[in-house]
Amino acid sequence: MSDNLGLAQLSDHLLIVAVVVYSLAMLAYAGDFAYGRRVKAAGAAGKAARPVPELAGVGASGGAATPGTPEGPEQPTAAVPPAATADSAPGDAGRLGPLIRGAIALTYLGLAAHVAGVITRGLAVHRVPWGDMYEFITALTCVTVIFFVALMMRYRAWHLGVFVMGAVVVALGLAQTIIYTPAGPLVPALKSYWLAIHVAAMTLSVGIFFVAAVLGVVYLFAERYSRRAAAGLSPANHGIMRRLPSAVELDRLTYRTVVFGFPIWTFGIIAGAIWADQAWGRYWGWDPVETWAFITWVIYACFLHARATAGWRGRRAAYIQLIAFGCLLFNVLVVQTFLTGLHSYAGLG
Amino acid sequence: MTDVRSPQAGNGAAAPGVAEEPADVAGETIAGVADETETPRPGGFGAVAWARWAWRQLTSMRIALVLLFLLALGSVPGSLLPQQGIDPAGVQQYFTAHPALAPFLNALGLFNVFAAPWFAAIYLLLFVSLAGCVLPRSFRLARTARARPPQAPRHLSRLPNSVRYETAMTTEEASAAAAAFLTRRHFRLSQGEGWLSAEKGYRREAGNLLFHVALMGVLVSIGLGGLFGYKADRLLVEGTSFADTVTDLDAYHPGHLVSPNDLAPFSLTLDKFSASYVASGPDRNQPESFNAHVSYTAQPGDAARTYDIQVNHPLNVDAVKVYLLGHGYAPVFRVTDGQGKVVYDQATPFLPADQSTYLSEGVVKAPDAKPQQLGFAGVFLPTAVDVSGQLESAFPAPYLPAVSMIPYVGNLGLNNGVPQSVYQLNTTGMHRLATPVQVLTPGQSMKLPGGAGTLTFTGYRQWVSLQVTYDPGQVPALISGIAALAGLVLSFLVRRRRIFVRTYRGDSGRTVVDVAGLARSDVGGGFEAEFGELAAGLKSVHDHDSSPRSEETE
Repeated sequence: MSDNLGLAQLSDHLLIVAVVVYSLAMLAYAGDFAYGRRVKAAGAAGKAARPVPELAGVGASGGAATPGTPEGPEQPTAAVPPAATADSAPGDAGRLGPLIRGAIALTYLGLAAHVAGVITRGLAVHRVPWGDMYEFITALTCVTVIFFVALMMRYRAWHLGVFVMGAVVVALGLAQTIIYTPAGPLVPALKSYWLAIHVAAMTLSVGIFFVAAVLGVVYLFAERYSRRAAAGLSPANHGIMRRLPSAVELDRLTYRTVVFGFPIWTFGIIAGAIWADQAWGRYWGWDPVETWAFITWVIYACFLHARATAGWRGRRAAYIQLIAFGCLLFNVLVVQTFLTGLHSYAGLG
Repeated sequence: MTDVRSPQAGNGAAAPGVAEEPADVAGETIAGVADETETPRPGGFGAVAWARWAWRQLTSMRIALVLLFLLALGSVPGSLLPQQGIDPAGVQQYFTAHPALAPFLNALGLFNVFAAPWFAAIYLLLFVSLAGCVLPRSFRLARTARARPPQAPRHLSRLPNSVRYETAMTTEEASAAAAAFLTRRHFRLSQGEGWLSAEKGYRREAGNLLFHVALMGVLVSIGLGGLFGYKADRLLVEGTSFADTVTDLDAYHPGHLVSPNDLAPFSLTLDKFSASYVASGPDRNQPESFNAHVSYTAQPGDAARTYDIQVNHPLNVDAVKVYLLGHGYAPVFRVTDGQGKVVYDQATPFLPADQSTYLSEGVVKAPDAKPQQLGFAGVFLPTAVDVSGQLESAFPAPYLPAVSMIPYVGNLGLNNGVPQSVYQLNTTGMHRLATPVQVLTPGQSMKLPGGAGTLTFTGYRQWVSLQVTYDPGQVPALISGIAALAGLVLSFLVRRRRIFVRTYRGDSGRTVVDVAGLARSDVGGGFEAEFGELAAGLKSVHDHDSSPRSEETE
């Protein structure tokens, strides 16, 4: 198999461009946090004609809107006063300042380079571009950014970009420095169309869980802030906090993100089991990577159940979600790299 | 996981609306509604009371959560410590490396976590908890599937989503129009004086139940494989055969209910093995493909068929699968003893010591050699090169095959009752013959000093290690897995929601319509949008269709 060196180099360069542009985007998001001009709510009200699903509550029907918080009694953690909820609803693009518009443009630009980098890598090696650890991380961060952009198109909380971009830059940077593997052919065990299916599902779900984890961390800060604000310990209209969705909205966004990723992760495990049956003669054998995929699945299941259990909602559920992502990271970065098992394909030697 | 209240009970006729609803609204999980009232501990010592209390505890969501955590936690040592079933050599090494700690860990079952009683206790308790939750819910679902939605709350404006508008219709007309509108959208209705209540999305609960039942199906499937399945290995040199019988298999692990007669009666011959490797570049020596050309007969007397077993392409003979696990070289040696008699002439499997160059190690034992038994230990090099006086293999493919063997004479120790590995030479009763190190290429011989005999390297063959498995739980496990996934997706995609409509005469004399909506579960989000769309639809029905007749034409 002859790998196309020119394309492989192009891919490397495109991905470096992506990291640089993402870093700039992150700086722009951060700059907007720090210096961004707050557009007056009164002036923006006229422009805010476009209904924002979820975050702005109902009102689409144009009837007598329900007074009180849109969430009603659903969330006991809803300590944010209604006024703050409405105000911190990140609103539509009409309220966004120039810095954050630039940040969004940079995000799109970086994403274009990122997608092109992943595709050219695949073209260079004549196969799906997720055959080793480096390719896996570049592909999953690509999913993360795509999912984030899609989420923000709907929920318009672009300020979360600073956290997502930060995490993506760290992951991609790590991939390009210590995890980097030059383009190469696959070992026979990986030559199966199940590579396209199983690893694609894992890449997708990890990319989505990545977004959920970032949202979970931001939630914990927002929740802490709203508790302190309710107790009078923090100023009620903190500049940074008012640019973010409220704790209740973050909690819900996190939950929906996990709910989106969980069936894909489940599918990935099932596809992996089918592949394992073809390649190794058993569909489940408690290989370390299988074991940790199972542990991750169980803890995400815990999160989904905890969120419906009295006394476990809110902060505790958020911690469970972060533990689950921690297990996932451990699996990707430690188990696949350092523990000997059948999944040792990381290409790190 | 116990759903403490039945759906109807939560929304009784006198329910004041919102106050009754929080548990239902928050029940956004796969497990559904989970707000529970604490079961009071029994005061006395009645066994029934305690049993009931224990059962309530076990089937509660809290305990299920704790069990889930324990299951995850219990799996951790299974991945960090070597496991008996996967890596027995690793367990041996651990015992040698940590002589004080290892027996203690072993007593806890930590070298065989997934077969340990405590691990079984966790997952069995979890599944009992699940069954105790899922079965009653199934019955309840079967009942509510035919039941009508409860009466509309009195004050609809208190619900999370509500609109109010006026219409020119009479209250009866408005109710009828709303009923027709919601029926068209496949809502299930119940109606009363001035109110209407509609519900949709029962498939969510069905999906939720399907998911949990399917998980139990996975467990049963695994059990099925453990009872009726079997697994064995077999090392096969090119040109040789084996039959799927207990005596012909190595490392035979039958399920608890498998008898030797249950094995599929096939036989298999390895005709040829071929492999290709990357020849240059940074990935040099990395394998590209393995191919075991075999011929097999499924039943005695059947015609022989051929198949290429590759990694990811096992051979399937009547649901028994044969996998290619590994390969290696088997140099062919001929040993002539001191009396000039050929006492050994066969291919001898050597084990690869280096996975990238396939430098392989092995031994030859000639117990029939006279006057003394002969033994040889040495290496096989697929592509032998001399690297500054050191003999090495440069490539895994057999381009320049060579062997280098060290001869021993004496007692091989085969008759003292202690089992020996065929890959190791027990040299305690032997002494090494003083010969210079010789490299033999195919056809070359080495004469042993003192007329002890001759060793000839006549050529080489390749061997493969095959795994034979039969697992009747496979297909049920796959079906259960797919069912679980389908249930999961269904329970996440479908939202169970209610729409309430109240019509009454307002102060102005016109008919006032209150419409409210409530998502009992809205995992994927979007109920607000759906409600807005429904409410707008209802309003336009009430605005435009001033006469009930035009309602029918639509």
